[in-house]
Amino acid sequence: MKTTLNILLVLAAVYLVGCDEPVDNRINMDDEVRSDTLASNYVTRPIGDAFSALIGESIDIKRVATRTTEAGFMEVYVQGYNRAPSVKRFEYRVEWLDSQGLMLETTTSTWLPVSAKGKSTFQFKAIAPTRNAVDFRINTRKEVK
Amino acid sequence: MKRTLLTTALLLGCLIAGCVEKTENIDLVNDQAKAVMSLDYRDFDEAASQMVQSVIQSGVLNKADGSRYVMSTGRIVNDTMQRIDTDQLMAKVEQELMNSGQVVMTSAVGSESARDQTVYDVRELRESDVADEFDPDTVVAKKQLVAPELSVSGKIFQRNLRYDKNRQQVEYYFQLKITNLTTGLRFWQKEVILGKRGSNKTVAW
Repeated sequence: MKTTLNILLVLAAVYLVGCDEPVDNRINMDDEVRSDTLASNYVTRPIGDAFSALIGESIDIKRVATRTTEAGFMEVYVQGYNRAPSVKRFEYRVEWLDSQGLMLETTTSTWLPVSAKGKSTFQFKAIAPTRNAVDFRINTRKEVK
Repeated sequence: MKRTLLTTALLLGCLIAGCVEKTENIDLVNDQAKAVMSLDYRDFDEAASQMVQSVIQSGVLNKADGSRYVMSTGRIVNDTMQRIDTDQLMAKVEQELMNSGQVVMTSAVGSESARDQTVYDVRELRESDVADEFDPDTVVAKKQLVAPELSVSGKIFQRNLRYDKNRQQVEYYFQLKITNLTTGLRFWQKEVILGKRGSNKTVAW
């Protein structure tokens, strides 16, 4: 029990040390491109990856913004972050709702793929196919392979 | 001996019956079935959705006076190895463009599948032998058809590549463009690529 705890603590420490702040958040350097840190060198990277998988790191949604285009169509921008070190692929489906909260019939409400690079920000956007849409609902699911 | 034969036949029957895959309806909204190398309805849905979102987002169909553009469907070429009815893509695109309130499609001009022959059949009634059978006020007068302002045309094609010893890569390209028929200028264009990687043994046509 004590040994397991010690291993977990070491893993956590290695992982946390690796969380260095980048110079500019707009530039994301891949582990295999940037200079090594304690958590991201060839030897310790698998440990960090294993720990990430162990604590179940995955997709977080950071920001959802809407706007209406000049032509009167509602647009939705979704920004998220993939906390896992590996690429996460998933699908989303937007359902457009009218002023009464009823779902609008549209063929564009289909499952669309998103690929989020590991430890990176990703975004996707959707535009309502009709001016009657004033609200939306987004569902996600694991990518169909 | 007879009993053994009967038992074997019975077992064989059960075995064969057990091997028959049951038929099931596809959940078209939440289909979780695995991808196939050929184009299936999900691929057309995805391509059409991306096309429609792109054209609406571009704002090119936003007429200054708020009226709708009259659009015809031009030639959509199927240059894949599959027998595809290109309406599978275009029906969705046309439907959504009309629902957007920015476009009205014409059935008078365009590709064969987009035209409605009845538009011309009712006009032939004017000089036909049975013209007297119709109330003249209900027979379509001349110069009533509205000419299209825009045309949508495109192409679907496929490339097959050898990925490695056991796998192949199939790339499907969906290309659509909208042209202003008065000026001949291209208003909008979009390409959607769908790629699949799978066994060499699978035939993608």
